[in-house]
Amino acid sequence: MNNVIYILVQIVVILAVAPLVNGINRKVKALSQKRKGAPPWQMYFDLYKLLKKNTVVSNVSSWVFKAAPYIVFATALAGALLVPVTSKLAGSHIPGDFILLIYILALGRFFMMAAALDTGSTFGGMGSSREAMISSLIEPSILVSLFTLGLIARSFSLPEIIMSVQNTGIPLSNPVYIMVFLAMVIVLIAEACRIPVDDPSTHLELTMIHEAMILEYSGRHLAFMEYGAAVKQLIFMTLLVNIFLPTDQFITLSGLLAVVLSLIMYVLKIIVVAMVIAMIEIKTVKLRLFSIPNLAALAFILAFLGILQYFILGGGYA
Amino acid sequence: MLFYAAYLFKSSLILYILAALIALLMTKNQKTCNILVNSICILSALLGAAASVLKLTSGVDTLPLIQVHSVVPFISISMTIDNLSAYFILALSILVCCVSVYSLGYISSYIGQRNVALFYFLYTTFILSMILVLTSDNAIFFYISWEVMSLLSYFLVVFESEKSESQRAGKLYIIMTHLATAFLLVGFMIIYSYTKSFDFGLGSAAAIMPDSIKNIVFIMFLIGFGTKAGIIPLHIWLPSAHPAAPSNISALMSGIMIKTAIYGLIRFIPGCLGVEHSWWGITILALGIVSAVLGVAYALMEHNIKRLLAFSSVENIGIILIGLGVCFIALAQNNQLISSLALTAALLHTFNHALFKGGLFLGAGSIQYAAHTRDIEKLGGLIKKMPLTGFFVLCFSLAISAIVPFNGFISEWLAYQSLYAFMINGETGLNILFILAVAALGLAGALAAACFVKLFGFSFLGLSRSEQALRAEEVPLSMNIAMGILTFLCLLSGLFPLVALKLIDPVTVSLGGSSIFSTLRGGFLIVYYPLEAAGNTISPLIFVIFLVIFIALILLAARVVGGKYLERRYGTWDCGFEALNSRMQYSATGYAKPIKIVFRILFKPTRQVVMEGDSIYHPDAIQYKTSYTSIFVKYLYHPILLAVKDFAKITKYKIQTGSIHSYLLYIFIAVMAMMLYNRFL
Repeated sequence: MNNVIYILVQIVVILAVAPLVNGINRKVKALSQKRKGAPPWQMYFDLYKLLKKNTVVSNVSSWVFKAAPYIVFATALAGALLVPVTSKLAGSHIPGDFILLIYILALGRFFMMAAALDTGSTFGGMGSSREAMISSLIEPSILVSLFTLGLIARSFSLPEIIMSVQNTGIPLSNPVYIMVFLAMVIVLIAEACRIPVDDPSTHLELTMIHEAMILEYSGRHLAFMEYGAAVKQLIFMTLLVNIFLPTDQFITLSGLLAVVLSLIMYVLKIIVVAMVIAMIEIKTVKLRLFSIPNLAALAFILAFLGILQYFILGGGYA
Repeated sequence: MLFYAAYLFKSSLILYILAALIALLMTKNQKTCNILVNSICILSALLGAAASVLKLTSGVDTLPLIQVHSVVPFISISMTIDNLSAYFILALSILVCCVSVYSLGYISSYIGQRNVALFYFLYTTFILSMILVLTSDNAIFFYISWEVMSLLSYFLVVFESEKSESQRAGKLYIIMTHLATAFLLVGFMIIYSYTKSFDFGLGSAAAIMPDSIKNIVFIMFLIGFGTKAGIIPLHIWLPSAHPAAPSNISALMSGIMIKTAIYGLIRFIPGCLGVEHSWWGITILALGIVSAVLGVAYALMEHNIKRLLAFSSVENIGIILIGLGVCFIALAQNNQLISSLALTAALLHTFNHALFKGGLFLGAGSIQYAAHTRDIEKLGGLIKKMPLTGFFVLCFSLAISAIVPFNGFISEWLAYQSLYAFMINGETGLNILFILAVAALGLAGALAAACFVKLFGFSFLGLSRSEQALRAEEVPLSMNIAMGILTFLCLLSGLFPLVALKLIDPVTVSLGGSSIFSTLRGGFLIVYYPLEAAGNTISPLIFVIFLVIFIALILLAARVVGGKYLERRYGTWDCGFEALNSRMQYSATGYAKPIKIVFRILFKPTRQVVMEGDSIYHPDAIQYKTSYTSIFVKYLYHPILLAVKDFAKITKYKIQTGSIHSYLLYIFIAVMAMMLYNRFL
């Protein structure tokens, strides 16, 4: 029963919040450009509209093209089960750790990259090729960062990692966490296809990566592709806020009220992070494609320094 | 139980010999030969698999099979199956069974064009020689079997001998493999000089040999077996030998033959020498890291499917070596639990790799059978013509990229867990190496995904890039059945890893480790059990169930919210110009280019652009050629080769003058030297 509640809360919260993040992001960017911009909840309407529309499918494509949106969305949701939005639903455990999370998301990415090649379009190939490069360069940073956290928590399970952080005081006063946090921010930007790695609002062939891969999609397929990307972005943001900015330890209540309070805190934190990401996007320019390896190297070095400090400081409880 | 195992195993051996004889006798009737030999091979492979499973579950370690002692000293046939052999024979039998089913269809295209009977003679004896390598328990017999295996595989590599590609590949292969065997021989000789025995059982050299000698023997074995395994920088024969051989042979070579080297490393280093120094494990781990990353990086650059797969074998050997290296370090530090965990990861990956790489080579064979080319740049759109083959290749690609519902993920997960278990135990000096191994595993995994998206995407998706690909048709049923079985096994051992791990447990226990999975209880096929290692649990099965439920719910939600699914088929967006054609698609070269540029230090890519026509601004035609240099050939093998050549030149002019008088002088000096040696030393 605990597990059923946990799964339901995870799915409902993640599905509800994911489009909001994109809305807030766009709103902040619009305001910075002195535009009024669409309301933050615009993406819900967009998704609804796309679901209602007819679907155009390229006559070159095969079943891979049509299966990919469902697999991308389903893997993102399955991955979301592993990253608890609140630690107040303790006692419920889905058997899986962050390595499973990374390789589940890899399943979705594999299909997205393959589907991009399925229409015979040059844009698809280009996006898929760039995604292949960026995802491989960023992968070591994700693993080393999460390994560090796993070593500190003495467990790879993300609920355990999140619980352990709550006992360490303020994580971001600890050099280990600072390094890993910065690495994770870069990882988030890369995985969420944000400036300076990718620009989600462009359709210029020179710059687009994620958009190039889903260029041929329309109707409900596009809706699921976009929703899947939003959920994946939220997974990485959830990791960030629940590990590095824990607030659940301040909630001394118990029961339903604690869960609700913790969820409200979670949503507020996500909104703040979404705004910060938007600010990063406003303040930076998109990197040249072949400068991205430098950014990935920076992420890896930060993660590596993080784990070195863990080894030096021992236990990470500085 | 054990009695049956020995009985089954012997009958399987006899059947293989029978198959070889039948192949020799039936040179005239090739069609019957094809069917008969393959049926016998399937039967004996099934017997071998059954025998291995019986042996592994029996709880008894060594099972002597055949002991024939000859009058000549040291020359004896002695075969024993212990748990390690049984495990490797199980992998061999499963793959042989599938490859034989596959050959029924695949070789049918050779009938009338080549000597199929000769092929099957070589095929069956090659299988037999691998079994001998895995079961012999005497160094001389092992050495002979090893040599026979190398020679037979050489004949199979050059089977299509009229092609200059095959000849060159064969030459490189036989030189490399013989160099390796020389190192093995030296290793065995050194051990013999201390233990005065060639038997593995008696040869527990650990107690007798001094440390420095052990180190030398370790290096000998590492080079000897490392060459066969294809560890970078000894890998150069692999990418040319695999594509030259027929695809069913490549599957066996990559699936099993290179794993006999892993078998050798496990058999001789911990089993015979005993691991006392951490640096052995560190060396293997470092080589594993290098092989894993560079292997897949080179694979990504290849556009010949089989060369790509060969480089990917280098990567997977690297992953196995990462497990093995961690195991050896743990052994040196007497940490049984971690060493067993790491060995489990290495052994499981060996088995998994046999399944999916075998399957991928068979897939490459199917592509060649249907489209008559192995060049990815000339393929495309095959999934519509060969839906089954396409589906199986997709599954193998997912498995080899360690993606979740398949078996590759389980072994990589175990490798991560063994690294974690070591780090949490905490010896700080090595932790940096371990974290690099983690990063290497991650990088190799992501690059492998990119590489296999390329392989699958460019050969099966999009528009066909050539006439041949356009005319391709689905391959015969037997070929698809073989690949289907392998796909099923990949999925099965990915969803129920405990089945495979239960078979590995006796191996690690008999090698002196502790049983990690001794707490397991029965019923693991039906009841859900999570896989647990180093305190972490995963359950791939649960996630597949979730995925299925989610997909069903998504479909349902789309139907409820969006109404009926209405689809319009229309051309791909062509920017408003004329209709797209296949040449406007992205090319595989272009696909790999970003990664080529990022890792240019490894590839040293060169390109040639030739403009034809009056003006460079309006060329009539452009030729674009791109290539990369293998840094190992250029900076390692080339200088050595040049040095050897120079040395030969010097001896030719200075020593081998051609004068009989100086030769007589040499003989005299040699005799004197020997007499003096015997007198004074």
